[in-house]
Amino acid sequence: MGRVLLVTRLAVRDLRRRPTEALLLLIAILAATTTLTLGLVLRDAAGDPFESTRAATQGPDVVAKAAGVSELSRLERLATASGVTGHSGPFPVTSGKIQASGRTSDVQVVGRDTADAAVDRPKVTKGGWVTAGGAVLEAAFAHALDVGVGDSVTIGGKPFEVVGLAVTAASPPYPATLCLVPAGCVHGAVPEDRNLPAGLLHNPGLAWLTQPDVQSLATGRNALSHVMNLKLSDPADAQAFVERNGGDAFLQSWQGIRSDATELAKDSQILLLIGAWLLGLLAVAGLSVLVGGRMADQTRRVGLLKAVGGTPGLVAAVLLAEYLLVAVVAATGGLAIGALAAPLLTGSSAGLVGGVGTASPTWSTALVVTGVALGVAVAATTVPAVRAARSSTVSALADAARPPRRTGWLISLSRRLPVPLMLALRVAARRPRRVVLGVVGIAVTVSGMYILLVLDTFLGSQTGTGVYTADQVETLRHVLMVWTVVLLALAAVNTIVITWATVLDNRRASALARALGATPQEVTVALAIAQVLPALVGAVLGVFPCGRLLFAGINAITGADGGDAVLPAPWQLIGLTAATVVAVALLTAIPARLGGRRPVTEVL
Amino acid sequence: MRQEVVLAMLAKEPSHGYRLRARLREALGPLGDAMNAGQVYVTLARLEKAGLLAVEGSADGADRADRKVYALTPAGQQRVGEWIAEVGWPKPDLAEFHLKLIAAASAGLADPLAIVDTQRRELLRRVREAQLAAMAEPDGSAAALLLEGIVLRLQADLRWLEACEKNWNHRRSGS
Amino acid sequence: MSEAVGAPVLSARGVRKEYGEGDGLVRAVDSVDLQVGAGETVAIMGPSGCGKSTLLHLLGGLDRPSGGEVVLNGRRIDDISEKALARVRRTDVGHVFQSFHLMEELTAVENVELSALLAGRAPRAARRRAEELLERLGLAGRSGFLPSALSGGQRQRVAVARALCNEPLVVLADEPTGNLDSAAALDVLRLFRDLRESGQTLVIVTHDARIAATADRMFSMRDGSLVDETRLTGGTAGRLGALAGLED
Repeated sequence: MGRVLLVTRLAVRDLRRRPTEALLLLIAILAATTTLTLGLVLRDAAGDPFESTRAATQGPDVVAKAAGVSELSRLERLATASGVTGHSGPFPVTSGKIQASGRTSDVQVVGRDTADAAVDRPKVTKGGWVTAGGAVLEAAFAHALDVGVGDSVTIGGKPFEVVGLAVTAASPPYPATLCLVPAGCVHGAVPEDRNLPAGLLHNPGLAWLTQPDVQSLATGRNALSHVMNLKLSDPADAQAFVERNGGDAFLQSWQGIRSDATELAKDSQILLLIGAWLLGLLAVAGLSVLVGGRMADQTRRVGLLKAVGGTPGLVAAVLLAEYLLVAVVAATGGLAIGALAAPLLTGSSAGLVGGVGTASPTWSTALVVTGVALGVAVAATTVPAVRAARSSTVSALADAARPPRRTGWLISLSRRLPVPLMLALRVAARRPRRVVLGVVGIAVTVSGMYILLVLDTFLGSQTGTGVYTADQVETLRHVLMVWTVVLLALAAVNTIVITWATVLDNRRASALARALGATPQEVTVALAIAQVLPALVGAVLGVFPCGRLLFAGINAITGADGGDAVLPAPWQLIGLTAATVVAVALLTAIPARLGGRRPVTEVL
Repeated sequence: MRQEVVLAMLAKEPSHGYRLRARLREALGPLGDAMNAGQVYVTLARLEKAGLLAVEGSADGADRADRKVYALTPAGQQRVGEWIAEVGWPKPDLAEFHLKLIAAASAGLADPLAIVDTQRRELLRRVREAQLAAMAEPDGSAAALLLEGIVLRLQADLRWLEACEKNWNHRRSGS
Repeated sequence: MSEAVGAPVLSARGVRKEYGEGDGLVRAVDSVDLQVGAGETVAIMGPSGCGKSTLLHLLGGLDRPSGGEVVLNGRRIDDISEKALARVRRTDVGHVFQSFHLMEELTAVENVELSALLAGRAPRAARRRAEELLERLGLAGRSGFLPSALSGGQRQRVAVARALCNEPLVVLADEPTGNLDSAAALDVLRLFRDLRESGQTLVIVTHDARIAATADRMFSMRDGSLVDETRLTGGTAGRLGALAGLED
């Protein structure tokens, strides 16, 4: 107990001694944990609300539809088919235009009894269930139309009052609404110059009326069709049941509905999880430098701890404890921010129970996020901590700085270059591990940006073709923006951290170069180039092969066929590389300038 | 220089007077210049008279001291043994300078700090002389070690002068 | 305060360096006048903290004085641009530091040639010059060694070679024997004697009496000011034998 207390106290004290670095550490891990939380919460958002909606509404295992009255007998035969244990309907269905507060949309209306059905009882989230002259709108549809309980709407030219909003598991939420009418539906945006075939519904919503009201709307061409909800003895068998009994044209399994219902959240989640991975990698790269720098500074402390009898184990424990403390705080913060921010990204799953506002981290999410935070801290800390713990007490007490590496070929190569480049290469050659971390950090960021370019072009092209609606594109853009901002912020923090570590590490070498006659500009430029060169390498690697590999990886995970995605054009990639180099140059300018102008005599 | 030094130099083997002088000069390097030939021969004659040395004869029967071969008698050997075991050490006379400063200050004869400065200059001249001699010695010369000893002692004295200066400076500004 | 032997290469007039302000004002260097003639070896001696290192920094263009003039080779260097000052440091002045300040990851010859490369010499010429200097300073076989593989005296020789690489007008040395044992210090002293004999102008600050005593002129420094100038060549130094107890 005493040991734990001692270790904790030493760790906390050391963190308080250097608040800025502790804060940078915190930000780095926090960015990764927040994104990870968002990704995991969205995964739950993708699965859970549908499950709970299905349970709460006695959701059907199979939805069957029949065109016209003539096909009603098909539905009646299905009700008694083998494996069917319950059913509701057939219910009459018709379609028309709904007009509400100035907006018009196609709508499919289902005629229901005022009493609860055995299968598919839409759960009323606001107001009540259908009455004569009173309509219930699917919640996501109502949200999109901006209609609430008590508002007046016209359906097929007849006035109705909205008496309630409900969610159902018999159809994906708007705008992915299941098509129930024989004329067919088209989802997504339609180019203005293209006329839809007559009767084809465009992005129809779903509404429930009483059966008589539906029948009164069914006139002329808009003849009635029917829909029936089936319960099977083995819900898992639904897809096979569909294939045995007529196929997709008539039947829709609940798994199919689920995948449509959760498509958007899934896409968001995949994006966020990939973002979290990238951020995790960046965090490890940044932390390694920060931790390495701190450790170098702590050699004397380590020596003291060991001189007064601390075992290498104790020393390593103190050093690790510091970073684990930061990691725990970052994990907690990440969970909180992620949970609060998640609803902003799940807006369109409003058509499901628990779809809005209640997407909250589960225990498993908390465990994963905390685990990752600790993992990041341990990964970044282990090498320096073990190195420090193993170092000789005497040399640690003497505060011998980690000697620079000699990279002979780089030094001889640099002899032939102009002075700033020569100094820059030598700065880089002194700490090859840090250069590698810098390259990795930039490569990770740039490959993230590469994916962003691909997705942005993809989303831009989707508004015309109908896989996503404008709202969905908007949501996905939000998701992309979230991780872009976090990724860029973290990359910037990383770059500054690495530059600063380099500047501090090269204090003596810089002062010496200046004492020997290098100008402040030469030293400043050298320090900046020492960052910009790895950034250039990182950017090129980030574009190829990392960006391509990451894109292939995403396609593999999502099972998507990347063939229709447009890869970034060469000018975009060149622009991306150039922008990265310029951004790094700007970020390093100030620390490098400070490093190059520090009075020589202060250091020597 | 004490007679025992000359005696001890003969402990290894009997030697001609001139060989003995050569060995002494080799060990002392530039400091050997301070020792004139007569001094060594006077010492040898004195030691012979005291029965500590015996003359074993001369190379060509000549009576000149530098041609004679000297050897230790048993009494001489015993004397060398006693001398080797001695722990005597030259005593630096610091009290004199210390009292000089106090007297000068109390009677107003001179500024103690000026005395310290003058003294330092003198000591530095001595350091210079010894150091220049040391730098002129070839590597591995025995005399270099002796010269280093001189320099180190002088450096110790200079450090003491620094302490004196600090002390008197302090007294002056204190009063 | 002093007159130089030859034409002054380096001179300071009323040079001051102050840190802080108000009650916290510290005069590290206070109105120093100094002239160093060509080929002269000048030592500045004083206790630690007397401002001698700061003075050396001001003379070598590593730092700027708060007041007064520093003239090197007939040109003021106290008020020139950072860039011009850098040029002075790389062509006119050679610095030797107490703790050598060699780049640990560079070999002896790479350390020496560094100042030539910084001065814009061709790599091959710089290497040739460095090898030549190392040979002259008795380190011919050591040119490929890292500093960590060299003894203290050898490291300081490398540092001196680096200082000489661009044929400076004056070499400024700050406690060059401070980190060396007695034998290595003697080695460095001999090196300085050889430099002096080859006509190199030297300014050395030190608290090592051996260095100070072997200079042409020696200044004592107290609390930022030069208080005393001594020509050790004159005077009464006794005979060596007396110093060793050989005569009374």
